[in-house]
Amino acid sequence: MMYRADADAQEWIDRAMPLGFTFEGREYRGYAGDTISSALAAAGVPYLARSFKYHRPRSILSFANHDSNNLFQVDGVPNVRGDVTLLREGMRVSALNTFGGLARDKARVLDHFARILPVGFYYKAFHSKRLFPRWERMFRRLTGLGEVSLDAPRQATPKRYGFCDVLVIGGGPSGLSAALAAAASGARVALVDESLRLSGNGAPSSLVRAVQDSAGINLYPATIAAGYYADHWVALAQQSYLTKMRAGAVVFATGVIGQPAVFRNNDLPGVMLASGALRLMARHSVAPGRRVVMLAGNLEAYSASLELHARGVTIAAIVDLRAAPESDAAVTDCAALGIEVLRAHAPYEALSGPDGTVAALTVAPCDSGTQVDASSPRRIDCDAVLMSVGWAAATQLFLQAGGSTRFSEELQQFVPRAAPSGIFVAGRVNGIYNLESRLADGRRAGVQAAAHAGFAVAGSAAAAQGTAAAHGTATAHGSRCPSHRYPIVDHPLAKNFVDFDEDLQVKDLENAAQEGFDSSELLKRYSTVGMGPSQGKHSNMNALRVLARYRGVAVEELGLTTSRPMYHPVPLKLLAGRSFYPERRTPSDAQHAALGALWMPAGNWRRPEYYAVPGESRAQSIDAEVRAVRSSVGLIDVGTLGKIEIYGPQAAELLDRAYAGRYSDLKVGMTRYGLMLDESAVIVDDGVIARLAPELFYFTTTTGGSATVFRELLRLNALWGLDCALVNVTGHRAAFNFAGPLSREILQRLTDIDLRDDAFPYLAVRSGLIAGVVARLLRVGFVGEVGYEIHVAAGSGAEVWQALHTAGASRGLRPFGVEAQRVLRLEKGHFIVGQDTDGLTDPQEANAMWAVAMKKPFFVGQRSLRILQAREPRQKLVGIELAAAAPLPKECHLVIERGVIAGRVTSVAHSRTLNKSIGLAMLSPDLAVVGRDIQIRVEDGSMLAARVAAAPFYDPKNLRQKPRLSA
Amino acid sequence: MRDTAAGALSMTVGGRRDRLGLKGPRAAEWLAAHGIAVPMLPNTWMPSEAADGADALLVARLGSAEFFVEDAAAGTKLKRLATSGDEHPPGVYPVLREDWAIDLGGTGVHDVLAQICNVNFAALTLDSHPVIMTLMIGVAVLVIPQTVAGAAAGSGSNGGSSGNFMCRYRIWCDPTFGPYLSESLGAVVIDCGGRIMGDRG
Repeated sequence: MMYRADADAQEWIDRAMPLGFTFEGREYRGYAGDTISSALAAAGVPYLARSFKYHRPRSILSFANHDSNNLFQVDGVPNVRGDVTLLREGMRVSALNTFGGLARDKARVLDHFARILPVGFYYKAFHSKRLFPRWERMFRRLTGLGEVSLDAPRQATPKRYGFCDVLVIGGGPSGLSAALAAAASGARVALVDESLRLSGNGAPSSLVRAVQDSAGINLYPATIAAGYYADHWVALAQQSYLTKMRAGAVVFATGVIGQPAVFRNNDLPGVMLASGALRLMARHSVAPGRRVVMLAGNLEAYSASLELHARGVTIAAIVDLRAAPESDAAVTDCAALGIEVLRAHAPYEALSGPDGTVAALTVAPCDSGTQVDASSPRRIDCDAVLMSVGWAAATQLFLQAGGSTRFSEELQQFVPRAAPSGIFVAGRVNGIYNLESRLADGRRAGVQAAAHAGFAVAGSAAAAQGTAAAHGTATAHGSRCPSHRYPIVDHPLAKNFVDFDEDLQVKDLENAAQEGFDSSELLKRYSTVGMGPSQGKHSNMNALRVLARYRGVAVEELGLTTSRPMYHPVPLKLLAGRSFYPERRTPSDAQHAALGALWMPAGNWRRPEYYAVPGESRAQSIDAEVRAVRSSVGLIDVGTLGKIEIYGPQAAELLDRAYAGRYSDLKVGMTRYGLMLDESAVIVDDGVIARLAPELFYFTTTTGGSATVFRELLRLNALWGLDCALVNVTGHRAAFNFAGPLSREILQRLTDIDLRDDAFPYLAVRSGLIAGVVARLLRVGFVGEVGYEIHVAAGSGAEVWQALHTAGASRGLRPFGVEAQRVLRLEKGHFIVGQDTDGLTDPQEANAMWAVAMKKPFFVGQRSLRILQAREPRQKLVGIELAAAAPLPKECHLVIERGVIAGRVTSVAHSRTLNKSIGLAMLSPDLAVVGRDIQIRVEDGSMLAARVAAAPFYDPKNLRQKPRLSA
Repeated sequence: MRDTAAGALSMTVGGRRDRLGLKGPRAAEWLAAHGIAVPMLPNTWMPSEAADGADALLVARLGSAEFFVEDAAAGTKLKRLATSGDEHPPGVYPVLREDWAIDLGGTGVHDVLAQICNVNFAALTLDSHPVIMTLMIGVAVLVIPQTVAGAAAGSGSNGGSSGNFMCRYRIWCDPTFGPYLSESLGAVVIDCGGRIMGDRG
């Protein structure tokens, strides 16, 4: 059982500052500087969690912020990482994933049903459609870590951008050395390390101090480089925010991750990595136990034994998987202390005591492949088993950066094979273990990175180049391989865990391979190895070894799986940031609000859906707005339309090529409808094109299409090299549609433009003053009445809106919103691009060939349209009518003919003007015949009767625009 | 910019000034003919003063043949140019500029900018008079860094990331994004200990 050791000068805790907290409702005390995990361990809490699948008791494995079993619910926040979260006074901590608490977890019974929970259980369970709902309910109940509180207050977690010349990831000896060397070259360096403090991890203290004192190095402690993106962007996850660090060059001194040995019951509380035990002891003076068995697969096991012995821990034995001893001082020192060393022995089974923690380890002789002779195992009583059998290179970020690796049989580790430009690797991740060599490798990487970022120091590059010759192939790691070839021991009763996150045993991986999932990628997906909170940091390497042995191939042949960003779990709050949502508002936004506008999103704009009037329902208000336009006058803000100007001698030619219609013959002072197609003749946008001068056009696009159309026109203009220039004035101009039988009369009082029909006919454009403001007026008929689109500078928008509203107020004017406009245009049978058309609709299908000038020499989409014209249309857009009393179908409800889908409703509304429900529908050509009855299937599966009708429904001869009928 | 000159972080919505955009192969020539000097290099700016030293214009060259001109707070120079939106000499295309403008400056200004934009403003060399066109919290903006009176203008880098340098930034965006940008940026400024000031006129 763990306990708090005597004080040490280097410890991180402040014993003068005790802190009280609760765990599972029970009170404990720790010290300032403790993490949750260290405080619980020091308090002798036997286990901290239940495992994900079998609900076995678990405790600390690595104390390296990777353990899936050191996650807690803290003060309502789920999945708090106990290894790195500092203890606070009054903290309320509880375990995750239990049913009835940690000690009495009812789900622990699952440990006895391992035989009926085979690998790929999820896939197999969900294979049955009939049982799917039952399994789904059960899995939803049993799985998941932590509880999300929907009442939790929102925390602002601003993201920020950071900049440096050289980013060094890793605060060990090679990272510190690299940072110092880069800073000495004049580079601005950012040094990132996930530890709460920059301790150097074995680096000389003078080096740590030099880095801390360097003005050129910005330190980022307690920071995880969680993802690498193009151009040296690295996501740095800090406690309360995310930094997007842009670097000129990056040094990966990411080190290696301790790997567990695999043997029966290797997950018992008290079995942990030696590297983790050393961290606990050095930082928090927490001893792993009083009588420890050390499993050795490398030299570090011996030095770890010496360190723990020096702090009062009894080393019961060193069980060395290897037969041959090393000639190293640590080995002889252990012998001198009388520590028993069992060579060529392997752990066979860990045994638990009454409290569920490890009480003994049985060991047995083994060969070099860890095949044990279990005929007469030896029992060694202990209260902790520490594992120092090997390492896995932390290459995840390096691989994300586009680096490649190879598996070094000599080192039993993946090492860099090739690095992309601006990426440098140093230290143990580079396969270099000897301290002096790590420091030299760091210097080399730092100098090279600084040089890449433009900070070359004369003479240093050549020196660095010399060291770099060993890059990626270095073997200066000491006298022996740092990782055991196969630290995995079979046992007939299994429970020898490879993956502690997902409770995967050796047999699970072998069974998966036997079922055909025998590549590293397939094995990962089928077994879920490496898919838990630790993302395979402790399991991927051993899983590869199991798979390689099963298939009889080398690990090199299997390769690593891809670690995508974020390779370390990052709280969603860090990704959410401040939740910026760019929203556009028209210049008369305040006027709309004052008139009671209810808002709706339209692309990234906010637009009035309708204007609420006290005493009126939504439908009544919309009806009244429609009625005003039909009977007197209405005013709508259409400033959201895209607005583009084209200047130059070849402006007309650009429009002729980019749009389906012809504009070179458009007279100055007139407008024409514009239909834009893509190369496959699909309708992508529409608008009105006005010719203001021989070499100046002004035109509108759809609300959602302005940016896309502008970009496309810029692209085409650059491609064709025409002599004209485009300006997007969408946001710089306000626009309103003033429409209705009284519109001309009212507007004439506000303008110096002659609005009479002969001076300003339908589809003309004029410039002049409206309420004293310079304006462009386009006479359009989108809503089917005499109407004027009034375009003014944005700064005058509010003023002109107010003038129009005031002028019409005594004549029954109502402002109208998007909903009324949709009804009005539907009565006129006008389609909306993107609603009544889809990603395949061509002008033939939309009955829009009238807007296409096929005789032009060229326009975008012309060739495809010719081909389509030779074929029968796939569908046709037609009008439909429903009985006035019939319920309205919804847009996108399907038209069914003889049991199969024959079309869909694209627009539908009830027209009070016409006293019937009308709509548009895209139908198969055989149904698209006026008078044809169709059936529309609605949500409850019932059918609605409708009839194909001629459109426009309202004023089909457009008489409302004719001079004699105008008001 | 009195308060930012004193060092306090602040944001001011820039008010209504006259602005002019020009595009076209003869735009530079047209500006010169009207007594407005233009920067030689794209993505740079310069002040262009009248003969009496008053009525200073800010002239930014956005491309080889594209210019943005802003009058002083109470300036009348651009009004006098009286360029029509629809009539222009060949090769000179006027561009309506109704931009929303924001002034941002003071201690910690780079901390604010680092939260909203991926350009390293702290590393800009001010004596080159750079013009930056970028995205700021999702909105296309035009940014010009300027030193305030009394600060060490044109001394290379503008103070690193410490944010203590007396630098102010004038930011323009599409006016329809103005309320969003002002509200969002204002929230960051306040979080960083700054304050929002009234319209500067």
